[in-house]
Amino acid sequence: MLRKESQMVHKENIVQAIVLTDTFDDEFLPISEHLPHALLPVFNRPLIDYTLEFLSLGGIEETFLFSSAHVEAVKRYVNKCIENGEGWTLTMKVNVMVSESCRSFGDCLRDLDAKGVLRGEFVLLEPGTVSNVDLLPLLKKHNITTKSDKGCAMTLILQESAIRGIGRCPHEELLVATDSHSKLLFYKKLGSSKDNKLEFPLEIFLDNASVSLHHNLNDTHMAICSSSVLPLFSDNFDFQTKDDFVRGLLMNEEILGSTVYCHILKGNQFAGSITNWRMYQALSYELRNNWVHPLIPSTKRNRKLKNDVFIGEGTKISETAELNDAVLGDDVALGKNVRIEDSFVFSNTKIGDNVVITHSIIGEHCTIQSGSEITSGSILENGCVLEKDTFVKNSLLVAKIPDNYENGDKLADKAYRLRIFPDEDDNISINELDRKLSRLDIGDFNYESDEIEDAFSDSGDEQLSYTQTPPPDDTKLFYTEVIDSLTRGLEDKLPCDNLILEINSSRYAYNVILKEVNFNIVKAVLILSLRQPETTQYFGNLSRVLTYFAPVLKNYIRNESAMKDCLEAIQDVAVSSESLHEKCVTFILQYFYHKDYISEDAILNWFSTLTTSSKLYKQVKPFTDWLKEAEEESGEEESEQ
Amino acid sequence: MTFQVEFQAVVLAAGKGSRISEITTTKPKCLLPVGPMPLVWYPLYKLEQAGFTDVILVILEHQKSEIQSALEKTGIEIRIEYATIAENEELGTADSLRMLYDRLKSDVMVVSCDFVSDVDLHGLFNLFRMHDASIASLLLHPQQSEASVVPGPKSKHKMERDLIAIDQQTSRLVFLASASDFESELTLPRSLLKKHTNIKMYSNLIDSHIYLLKKWVIKYLKSEDSFSSIKGELIPHIVKKQLSKPPKTAEPRESIVSPKDSGDIFAYAKEDDLDLAIREASAYNDHIGDLKPAYHQDTIRCYAYVAPKDTFGARVNTLMNYWSVSGKIIDHWEKITDGKELVLKHPDATICSTQVDNKCVIWDGVNLKEKTSFKNCVIATNTEVNSFSRIFNSIVMNNVTIKEKVAIENCIICDGAIIENGCKLKGCIVGSYHTVEEDSEHTSEVLTESDRLMEF
Repeated sequence: MLRKESQMVHKENIVQAIVLTDTFDDEFLPISEHLPHALLPVFNRPLIDYTLEFLSLGGIEETFLFSSAHVEAVKRYVNKCIENGEGWTLTMKVNVMVSESCRSFGDCLRDLDAKGVLRGEFVLLEPGTVSNVDLLPLLKKHNITTKSDKGCAMTLILQESAIRGIGRCPHEELLVATDSHSKLLFYKKLGSSKDNKLEFPLEIFLDNASVSLHHNLNDTHMAICSSSVLPLFSDNFDFQTKDDFVRGLLMNEEILGSTVYCHILKGNQFAGSITNWRMYQALSYELRNNWVHPLIPSTKRNRKLKNDVFIGEGTKISETAELNDAVLGDDVALGKNVRIEDSFVFSNTKIGDNVVITHSIIGEHCTIQSGSEITSGSILENGCVLEKDTFVKNSLLVAKIPDNYENGDKLADKAYRLRIFPDEDDNISINELDRKLSRLDIGDFNYESDEIEDAFSDSGDEQLSYTQTPPPDDTKLFYTEVIDSLTRGLEDKLPCDNLILEINSSRYAYNVILKEVNFNIVKAVLILSLRQPETTQYFGNLSRVLTYFAPVLKNYIRNESAMKDCLEAIQDVAVSSESLHEKCVTFILQYFYHKDYISEDAILNWFSTLTTSSKLYKQVKPFTDWLKEAEEESGEEESEQ
Repeated sequence: MTFQVEFQAVVLAAGKGSRISEITTTKPKCLLPVGPMPLVWYPLYKLEQAGFTDVILVILEHQKSEIQSALEKTGIEIRIEYATIAENEELGTADSLRMLYDRLKSDVMVVSCDFVSDVDLHGLFNLFRMHDASIASLLLHPQQSEASVVPGPKSKHKMERDLIAIDQQTSRLVFLASASDFESELTLPRSLLKKHTNIKMYSNLIDSHIYLLKKWVIKYLKSEDSFSSIKGELIPHIVKKQLSKPPKTAEPRESIVSPKDSGDIFAYAKEDDLDLAIREASAYNDHIGDLKPAYHQDTIRCYAYVAPKDTFGARVNTLMNYWSVSGKIIDHWEKITDGKELVLKHPDATICSTQVDNKCVIWDGVNLKEKTSFKNCVIATNTEVNSFSRIFNSIVMNNVTIKEKVAIENCIICDGAIIENGCKLKGCIVGSYHTVEEDSEHTSEVLTESDRLMEF
């Protein structure tokens, strides 16, 4: 039956799928050091097993496993399965393909293009995908789409999911805009960006009668691809990931002549991908709760065990053990009074008496001696040995001495703390910080689900995001951004044109009105300029800095009202900083006047608004007096002529 | 004892028709002839059909008698209460509504005088009632536009487009702005997308300018002097406010009694405690996808009712719309009026011509002499057409005199114009009280007194 249907889709071709087995990142360190991602145990069964079973149930007839790390282990496993006649081997041919030179998702696809094994449309799976979707109708739908739109290269499979649902990785928060034919118009992974505003190109709304904006979708990491996808990857060597691909196609729709569509899964169709530990936990829960039916955990539910505990074969649990939401592998030995919560313990690990493990993952063949405590997102590599009464919190442990070993990293002979980005301090981008945090999610994950149960009391950050749309202190944020930009500009000697661009973009980001822009920029320039050591060359330095920023000042102080803003800024600086050198104000005014930033009239007008008793008034008075005199003189000169 | 009605209807007919100034210099916009009736009759009749017995009609002071007598002739039964605005007062739509504050006791339905449609208003009412909405507005899909040549000089008709976002699950109106407010990028607050996870952004829907407003909205409008337009300011403001949460106040405020001092919209948008208690006790929720209570506990709720796709409906606010609605009115007459008899030839008209096709509408007091020919045109009150003239595809308004041997095609002739012998007009607009000289020929022009032209 399956065969017949599939023949309707592809007249002579068989239905093919590509599964990539490598994540090309270090999300799963240190476990991934020795264990390929594909063989990560999920309920004591390798992850790839679920993927392959799903593909064969979904109607795929030939699958290419593309592997570039731990190749032998993957090969061995697949061969073993074929020998044992696992279910999926009956309807589906599995080929393991190897290329050790690939360094990214894009490389793999380029390599596949070169090998030319794929004949038509195919299903593309990123590593770690588990699902129960019937793929043939999706392939058919893609096929129909390609008939009406020849450029259709890919149909992304997205899944509806609830906000803050556990199956939704917070780092992959997706924002998608489609037209009425599900053609993708906008695609953005919000990740952990904290922007309160989302920008869309206006033309997508004007060019289409109606545009659907979806913020309730989950990337399943599956896609139906036309045969043009692989050549597109080959032609564009900068496409490293699927997201690059989608973004690139959207941006250069005219040039590449290709479009992306999406299909939204609803109802009982489920798909998810294990891309990090948080998703590992989430998908384990989903599997356990039969969301992915007919795929279910291989381990049978033991009726005597309560609280969602799963154990593998040969694992014995004593009466005194306290287990909650735990998954134990095969042949795990537990001591007395062990407490394990929200954790995963892989096979053949020995756990001593009175050990507490919470929100952690313990690799295979570890030994944890009695009295130890492992908490808060700790991950132990295979073969770690913890001494008695060790306390581990929020760390990654490896069995061998890591390359970047430092004192204090050693916990025991076979347990060392792993530092992930030790020497790149100056290079810590948000991205890396972010990844670090994603590991910890396993810990705060439960905290989050607590929140869901307690939905009637609004959680803190929701509350925040629902308050007044424009945050009131935007102007302040803008000011700090300007200060940052200028400081960096001054240090790195960046051209002022770039700074102006930067300032303008912050201006739009924070939606600051022109008056405040002028005010804040002048203020920022002054604050920076005045931050000089009080030496004899003080004024020299001051004017040097001011000269450096001259293009910036010139750009913003353009008309009468801008001059007024500028003077207000000077006033603000003068009044607010007490310790200011008393001649500074006069100096700055003089400087600005000579450089023609501010006109005489503007100064005099401004001066007339000052209260006569203020300190500032006294400081400025001599200067304005001089101005008036100069004016009279020049007036006289003119009249003489 | 007076019975408090559920809705009070207000028809705004004080617009000057600034977008079609060519034909509204001397004539109230709401009296432009559309088929056999003046424009304002259509919304009034719509209200009458929907069950309204009373309506407040807002008009300009100096046009009152003209409008009154025109409406009396139409035989409309709904009781009309006139509210007038002095001509020199520049009052926006919101200002008009504020002016009526004392007369408005219930929730209000605001209708624009230029709305011609066959839509069934009950869909809108039900949506409003179902969710106890603050605002419900009626939106229409754009009409299939066939290429017809609009009289007057060729001009590029620039559509005023609104960006309207509607939550697909709940029909909540979550975003409303004019497309021209943005340059190249549209920015949405992230919280909006978080709250309404699947919204549809429309750029081609037509806002019918029919709004149902909760009573508190009128009160709020009364306290806020800054709004002058309903569509441009009041509605977008309230739509935006849906995202905000009421400020946390320690002690419950006596809101409605002394709202003046607070100036806060949430003080007005307070819901009845009993309603809240009922909602809390009920299992009803308007949305799925997060575990928030019904309506996200919003007290301000705006809804949009999008009329079914095959609905006929348009606002006569541009020349193009006027032209196309006039052209289609006969075909859609039955649906628009729900089977009211269509009087094509008024009994008081003197028709001696034998060539009047069945798409012509002849008003009262019209005098069509022998040997004239008419196809697909509207001839309004007291117009006289003399022998050997023919008029095709045109609208001729009141008191026009068309002399002999005149050929008119695709034209709009305004009140009191005189077309002298032998003129040939094609695609022209003749301004009111303008005289077209003998034997002149014009194509695609606006013919009007030059000083009147200055006005636009």
